[in-house]
Amino acid sequence: MADPVEMTGGCQCGAVRYKAMILPETSHICHCRMCQKAVGNYFAALVSARNDTVVWTRGAPAVFMSSDPVRRGFCSTCGTPLFYKTVKGKHTAFTIGSLDQPERVKPRTQEGVEARMTWFHDIVDVPDSGTTEVEMADRVAEIAASNHQHPDHDTDHWP
Amino acid sequence: MQEHETLAGGCQCGAVRFETKLIGRASICHCRMCQKAFGSFFGPLVTSHDGRWTRGEPKWFQSSNRARRAFCAECGTPLAYQTKYGLELAIGAFDHPTRVAPVIQVNLTDKLPFFDTLHTLPARDDPDDEWLDFMAGIHSNQHPDHDTEDWPLEGDGTDG
Repeated sequence: MADPVEMTGGCQCGAVRYKAMILPETSHICHCRMCQKAVGNYFAALVSARNDTVVWTRGAPAVFMSSDPVRRGFCSTCGTPLFYKTVKGKHTAFTIGSLDQPERVKPRTQEGVEARMTWFHDIVDVPDSGTTEVEMADRVAEIAASNHQHPDHDTDHWP
Repeated sequence: MQEHETLAGGCQCGAVRFETKLIGRASICHCRMCQKAFGSFFGPLVTSHDGRWTRGEPKWFQSSNRARRAFCAECGTPLAYQTKYGLELAIGAFDHPTRVAPVIQVNLTDKLPFFDTLHTLPARDDPDDEWLDFMAGIHSNQHPDHDTEDWPLEGDGTDG
């Protein structure tokens, strides 16, 4: 098993930040209906860290008990889904999009395929409309100037 | 714009429910703000011209001066994105997301480098005994994929 890698992450508004020793080989997407619903998406993208390496460096997540043995963490201020964990397990599975550098954890496997979208295999071929800068040129500058999303690194003070 | 049969949905815990009939194009948005807001590789959103909240109200986060994002304050499910151009609903929150297949990808600048290989990932379909035992003991607190008159129901263990 590859060595764990320290990574940081947090929610969109920055009220909750974490760091953990991420296990890149655990990176996966889960198609199960509970993950879909919890993250409002076609699937959840998750990567684990041992619980004893997880540090909440700013704020604390809110937790929803999606079933008796499972807890799902999110930011109560902005709603970003942050983690999945089992009550008895030794690991916390963070949502990959909440990592500051999600591109570092390429998913390795798919799970919960019983609920996978029937057209999932076509998803990468959906036509694209170009970059944000081209498609939304009139709005990009103004959004960038007023962006309330926390930057993709830790900050001493926020906001 | 398409007029559908009523499409309903809501958050994981069921505190917030919505419905819509008039939806526009369904998209995958790769921008970093959607990635973060959904905690995922992209945001899946469909324009809704007549969306309304049928149970509860979401909480809103003003992600920029031009956009705000709705989520359930009880369980965190991302539910919507709204600008002056209208309301877009989170597709995974629909009761039947397969009916809202994406037709376009937008904001490719931030597309993650491994996105194009997602459909080739090996599927893990050989759960071990420990996992099967774990799953057998689950009593879900997730709202079922249809509207309900009362929620939560005592002892309701739907959807595994």
